[in-house]
Amino acid sequence: MTVPAPASAAATPAAKARFEGVSKCFGSGPDAVQALDPLTLDLAENAFLCLVGPSGCGKSTLLNLLAGFDVPTTGRVLMDGRPVTGPDPKRGVVFQQGALFTWMNVTENVAFGPRATGKSAAEATRVAARYIEMVGLGGFAKRYPYELSGGMQQRVGIARALANDPEILLMDEPFAALDAQTRELLQEEIKRIWQETRKTVLWITHSIEEALFLATEVVVMSARPGRIKARFQPQFAMSKDSGVVTSAEFVRMKAEIFGLLREEALTAQQQEAAR
Amino acid sequence: MSASATTTGAVTSAKGRAQRARWLNLGSFLALLAIWFVLTTPLFGQPLIKPLFLPSPASVGETFMTLLKNGYQGKSLLFHIGISLFRFGLAFVLSLLVAVPLGLWMGMNESVKAVLDPPIEITRPMPKLALLPLLIIWFGIGEVSKILIIVLALFPILSISAMQAVRGVGARKIQAALALGASRTTIFRRVIFPASLPGIFTSIRVSIGLGVTMLVGAELIATTSGIAFMAMSASDFLLTNVVIVGVLIMALIGYVLDLLARAVENRVVHWGGKEG
Repeated sequence: MTVPAPASAAATPAAKARFEGVSKCFGSGPDAVQALDPLTLDLAENAFLCLVGPSGCGKSTLLNLLAGFDVPTTGRVLMDGRPVTGPDPKRGVVFQQGALFTWMNVTENVAFGPRATGKSAAEATRVAARYIEMVGLGGFAKRYPYELSGGMQQRVGIARALANDPEILLMDEPFAALDAQTRELLQEEIKRIWQETRKTVLWITHSIEEALFLATEVVVMSARPGRIKARFQPQFAMSKDSGVVTSAEFVRMKAEIFGLLREEALTAQQQEAAR
Repeated sequence: MSASATTTGAVTSAKGRAQRARWLNLGSFLALLAIWFVLTTPLFGQPLIKPLFLPSPASVGETFMTLLKNGYQGKSLLFHIGISLFRFGLAFVLSLLVAVPLGLWMGMNESVKAVLDPPIEITRPMPKLALLPLLIIWFGIGEVSKILIIVLALFPILSISAMQAVRGVGARKIQAALALGASRTTIFRRVIFPASLPGIFTSIRVSIGLGVTMLVGAELIATTSGIAFMAMSASDFLLTNVVIVGVLIMALIGYVLDLLARAVENRVVHWGGKEG
């Protein structure tokens, strides 16, 4: 197993979660698709790790494995040194869209987790109110998801995941379906929330800017089967200035990652065409 | 009709369009009534259609009042309506209480589905009314065979729809609930069941239409009460007025039941098919 990455993938004592020689193969026989080549990756405590890569590179597969929705074909997925055996409220998940409970209003959606993990109805509602306030939906507690814009729906999804006070947040392209302006606003908001809570985050995105703006660590993945191609440690996550995106360092890193992703996107396209 | 007045100006707003549609509905209804009136009223000596085949609206109205006062074959009109509604209601509630939970269970559990699928799928295409003679041999001509035939017709629709509704629940919603720490029971009660309700309600509305049809079919055969019986036996005596009163009452029953189901649906499934 080789990991041709600039930074080392060695386990550090502070690893909150760890993919250890993890690979994933979907299907069997001649139709089998190798989604992930064996890879090892650490998610450090309090880190904000962004996975970027071409479509089908296995980013979401990695996230689903850590969420406990799926099991690896080989290797192990660990959290705090213990194998992940299934979904756990210690790992909150935010999806791209379509995961809200449409029949529940905002408060009921956000209170679902606290309620499911044993809090009283009153306590769950109180917790929900706090997180609804945190994501800026104070005036919309009684609204239903279909009465909200796409951006507001994602805020509900984030509040819902936060309401269980998870140790790790897993976000699968949470802003991909939003328009550019809404996305930028929400990026700033998620940055503020992360700076406040310092949750460990695994974030999947197609947007290089989003990754550089938010992440303490950016992992670039190769086309299928997914491998780690490069790692970056941008320094913009703690910044409170939204102008960082125009800094020379930001622009340089963006160009570099763009170059890397372009190669992989071309490979991915050829794979598509060959099928 | 009066609706034509609104078509002269461009109707742009949604409210305006809805209002226009309502006027057209009313206009079309009144036009049908007018055609009936013109065809059956002796405007130039003879009516275009003889009363034996199609009596005039006014005489049907009179017959309705007479039936209301004197009843039909020794039983009041309300009794005939009541017994029909009772048969339909009991059969509908029974089907709902058995078929929907069973369908939900089939949706949740592959083994249950594997066991129950063959009997349901094999009998599904069979016209259930064909079983009525057999049911009459087994259970006699009383209420049991009538109610059972309706249940048999509604059962596959309600159970299969409930099963499909469960299987159509978005995987992400279930994953989200799992990641939030929900137990299997909580997921069923608070995610899968409510997410299935739109599909279940669609099948409820379909089964109301079918249930009324089956009711009429059952009442046409071997019975002495019910609104369809009234129409059928009146037909034997060429009492066209009574037949038409019966047909209109059955139509009204079907219409009102559908309105009722829709009202309940709009209350319970307020989110409808809307995604969020």
